[in-house]
Amino acid sequence: MSKIKKKRLGFVLDMTPLVDITFLLLTFFMFTAKFKSESENQQKVEIKRPKTQADTAKLAEKDLVMVKVGVDSVLKDTAWYVSMINEQDVVSLRRAMLDAKFPGADDKTVSFKVVDTVWLGKIIQSCRIVNPKASFAVDADRRLRYEWIERAVNEMRKNRATTFSFVTEKKQGM
Amino acid sequence: MAGGGALGGGKAPRRGKKGKRKSKKRLGFHLDMTPLVDITFLLLTFFMLTTSMITPQTMEMNVPPELDVPIEVKQSELLTIRVRDDGTIFYNMGMDAPEKIALKNLRKLVVDQNVQLKNRCIVVLKSSGDAPYGMVVSILDELNVAEPDILAGLKAAGINERKRKFTVAPMEGKDYEEIKGL
Repeated sequence: MSKIKKKRLGFVLDMTPLVDITFLLLTFFMFTAKFKSESENQQKVEIKRPKTQADTAKLAEKDLVMVKVGVDSVLKDTAWYVSMINEQDVVSLRRAMLDAKFPGADDKTVSFKVVDTVWLGKIIQSCRIVNPKASFAVDADRRLRYEWIERAVNEMRKNRATTFSFVTEKKQGM
Repeated sequence: MAGGGALGGGKAPRRGKKGKRKSKKRLGFHLDMTPLVDITFLLLTFFMLTTSMITPQTMEMNVPPELDVPIEVKQSELLTIRVRDDGTIFYNMGMDAPEKIALKNLRKLVVDQNVQLKNRCIVVLKSSGDAPYGMVVSILDELNVAEPDILAGLKAAGINERKRKFTVAPMEGKDYEEIKGL
């Protein structure tokens, strides 16, 4: 029964399906990945969005004015951050705000930090002029006092932006 | 691919019996795929970790434009929901005294009132400036979630149209007074 031992050729495993799937996943994640825009990069606020369960719409990707309300992680002050999404709107808004001598604005500002209602009104008005089609979205932290949102809504209402949306997060497991 | 006559004869040399030529045993074309797969996995992990799958949702709101002429509504058709500084919710119909209500019971109340009043109920949400924004959105969410139930209730009552929804109004001094001591 003594067999001549075969020379071991090593363990061969066909990796092709694995590599196939890996590439597939890689392409999927590459295409779905969305990187932070410049305006998101500029600010240092973290926003915990309120959670909702109702069927809601997705956030528009263009023709949008974003009004973020959050607490600065460094300065610990609450402020509105107004930015526009369309690239040419960003340029136009920046020009308008530089003309209006917005404090702290320079030729790179994308997101305008506002702390008083007067400037908030002015900037919302400028947004309306720059792109009348743009819709407004209020993205606020759920822990904030409602007053901040109410004041923003009032300013939008004054500028006849009566339809807007609150940015929320879908409640998981519903 | 396998149909190529001259080129596709890959099997013959492997068997090595029929060939007249003493050709070398073909070992096949080998390319080391390891670095490629390494990089691919690296990129895959990177994209998997950086992609956030939860896209933000939006809740659409309509506010009435600023009008000089106030619109008159019947007190008895008005359901006022008030939120106090600490986030407690109160409700009252028309001129009734405000009563405390839990968030989870709100949906049933709104549905019942809407069906009872046969489409003429107006829900007004008034929130104190100091109440947390998350609470206000939760209430708006409950009101939105109640809509399908209201529609079903109205349909059962023979009404196929839904006219009035809810609105948001600023809280005034009188509102604060009414719910202060409760």
